[in-house]
Amino acid sequence: MQTTSPPLGPSAPALPTQSWRDRLKITRSGVFSILFVLFGLWALIAAPQSYSPETVTGLTFGSGLPRVEVPTLSFVTVAGWLFLLGGLVGLAASFISGGSPVVVDERKPQATVLDRVARFWLIVNGILIIPTILIIAAANNSTNVTVMLQVSVRLATPIALGALAGIWCERSGVVNIAIEGMMLTGACFGFVALTIFAEMMPTATAIWLGVLVAVLSGGAMALLHAWLSITFRTDQIVSGTVINILAVGITSFLRREVLFSSEAGRETLQAIRIPVLADIPVLGDVLFNGRPIFYAMFILLVVTHVVLFYTRWGLRTRAVGENPHAADTLGINVIRNRWINVLIGGLIAGLAGAWFSLETTGNFEDNMTSGRGFIGLAAMIFGKWTPFGSFAGALLFGFSDALGQRFQFLGVPVPPQFLQMVPYIITIIVLAGLVGRAVAPKADGVPYEKEGKS
Amino acid sequence: MNRYIRLSAALALLMLALIPTFAVSAQDGIETVCLVTDIGRVNDGTFNQYAYEGMMRAVEDFDLDSTFIETQSQTDYQTNIETCLQEGYEVIITVGFLIADATAEAAAANPDVYFIGVDQVNEDPENLPNYVGIQFREDQAGFLVGAMAALMTETNVIAGVYGIDVPAVVKFRHGFEQGARYINPDIEVLGVYIASFTAPDLGAAAAEQFLGEGADVIFGAGGSTGSGGTLYAAQNGAYVIGVDQDEYFTTFGGGETPGAENLITSAVKRVDNGVYNMIELLVNGEPLPEDGIYMLEAANDGIGFAPAHDADVPEEVTERIQEIYEALKDGSLDTGVDPLTGALLEEAEATEEATVEADEE
Repeated sequence: MQTTSPPLGPSAPALPTQSWRDRLKITRSGVFSILFVLFGLWALIAAPQSYSPETVTGLTFGSGLPRVEVPTLSFVTVAGWLFLLGGLVGLAASFISGGSPVVVDERKPQATVLDRVARFWLIVNGILIIPTILIIAAANNSTNVTVMLQVSVRLATPIALGALAGIWCERSGVVNIAIEGMMLTGACFGFVALTIFAEMMPTATAIWLGVLVAVLSGGAMALLHAWLSITFRTDQIVSGTVINILAVGITSFLRREVLFSSEAGRETLQAIRIPVLADIPVLGDVLFNGRPIFYAMFILLVVTHVVLFYTRWGLRTRAVGENPHAADTLGINVIRNRWINVLIGGLIAGLAGAWFSLETTGNFEDNMTSGRGFIGLAAMIFGKWTPFGSFAGALLFGFSDALGQRFQFLGVPVPPQFLQMVPYIITIIVLAGLVGRAVAPKADGVPYEKEGKS
Repeated sequence: MNRYIRLSAALALLMLALIPTFAVSAQDGIETVCLVTDIGRVNDGTFNQYAYEGMMRAVEDFDLDSTFIETQSQTDYQTNIETCLQEGYEVIITVGFLIADATAEAAAANPDVYFIGVDQVNEDPENLPNYVGIQFREDQAGFLVGAMAALMTETNVIAGVYGIDVPAVVKFRHGFEQGARYINPDIEVLGVYIASFTAPDLGAAAAEQFLGEGADVIFGAGGSTGSGGTLYAAQNGAYVIGVDQDEYFTTFGGGETPGAENLITSAVKRVDNGVYNMIELLVNGEPLPEDGIYMLEAANDGIGFAPAHDADVPEEVTERIQEIYEALKDGSLDTGVDPLTGALLEEAEATEEATVEADEE
């Protein structure tokens, strides 16, 4: 990515000589290699005992598309060998040449052929593990792949928007843990606005005014955050916490005072089928038959990427986030830059709130965002503060939400309480294992104080 | 603020009314009741409202004095009960599972005041004869709507969106599944527990996945998580079933909300009847149930199923469900679900049968 700058310094760090200790050092890909080896062994040894050669997993893809029957045992056996061998190659690579074959680190500037093979194989295995688990879970049964993907991307929408909100703030150097609160505010105010406007005009119009109010109320919360943390230089974590608590209070108060008398479900934003594209099998249903905020998420994704990396404003924002003093010296108004970026983040978080109440459920409920703002921040870190990387993280979390539900009704013999933990376990594994060292913008979380002032 | 003004006005009036009443009060029957809600209000479309309606019906029928306090946060439970006590009310009704501890404490400290707890269990009936917990046979209500779902489905796939797996939800789920299998043993019944009662978007996601698997009747039992599922499914052409009260009037806005034409019934718990019956008992000077539990079930019209309203449910289906209701009522039909924990009894029986068979061999 354009953002990973080489370490600042007079010269590149000298290569340390490789000792045995370096070679035996446990690397991230080494751990994953071991996990793949274990999983491969389990698949090769346990699967033949659980499934007869006649067991099939049915995969359906929605109406009009044929049902595919995968022989469970053969699939798991092939996958098992891939996991086992890939894991062994990965282990060999990290042992023979020391260091990790996947993460480029200073100990190992040059990748050998073995490293390249191991890296490729580990990535293939990382992707393969998802269909493998699904096919095991749905043995003797069938599962609708299209719908699961559709639900995954849909559940990823607020997470991705939350991550984008975080990127705008943090790239300019303001930590924003208040995204959850801004989302909740947006969800509530947007829905309250809908109930009020719906009495004056057709619901189809009122709902768009509701979205507008949601976006603006998210922005209003962001202004509070900016005021506290930029102007008054309050600790940004404290300010964010205050906003999260405030949002819970305001919204549940509003629900009791305004919404109780009309707690009925409302119309939601309707799906828009994009002609031609929506007719593509599987992909059309997943990507081109969504609702407005779903599409807005994709647009904002591209816009954020372009603004951040290809415009003067983006360059200035990144400068302010990395080294505000230097930026100030060059004539950039740091305070103004941060205010505007935090505001933009809040507007996006408000839109994410509208996804909950106006696009998906047609209702408002206390604390209905249930932590998705925080998961959005995790997705942001997963993506190393880049829009597309964060979107990949959001997809992973949306997918694990959908998968956790699907495991339950496919009858996986695990108590539901454990299956409900699937999204969170994946979060931990991903953040601890896959992300690598995530480097935040250097000035992230540091209030800016002009030198010589005060 | 408003609440306090209203309450203090009500209390002021009541005190004027009560002072002479106490002076002459010498009969067995009670004359005053006070209701403390769970977090929420007496018109919020939940248990609070139904408990309140039950109380008000009793107040009118038996000419009682009454008031209510709306709880705003969990830390106020004790204070609100205390307020009722200080004002000298003879019966205190508390609503909800969460207020149970505060109620039991107050019952122990005030043996001459009666306590009625909705959705609560009196753990110590011997020492607390003045406290009754109202419980429900959710499994029977679930059984009725499960049978209805099995009669209405065309794809032979039905599904449930459930909240946290607390006993009430587990009872609904198992009852639903047993009822469906009672009509059609080969029916496919899907279901998912979601770890929140306030995540309608996850409920909607579950419903979407179920529709993708071919389900055409969706039962939502889990607060707004469940109604998130039913709203989504109803708006996407599937039949849906509500829970707790007739959701036609709440979630579906009395028919205003899109999808209301697909709500075929709701599994109803008659909280109002429970409260009314217990007050009636006390008005007549009779003691509360000895085991500390008043079970609302088909036999005492404590559970039931809501009418179809705008949905197109054939008359023979409704008749069949009514038959099952009667059978549950007279005890000739059993749901096969433990009435307190919600566990399936069938498994226990199955193992017993297996041992019997083994012995015979």
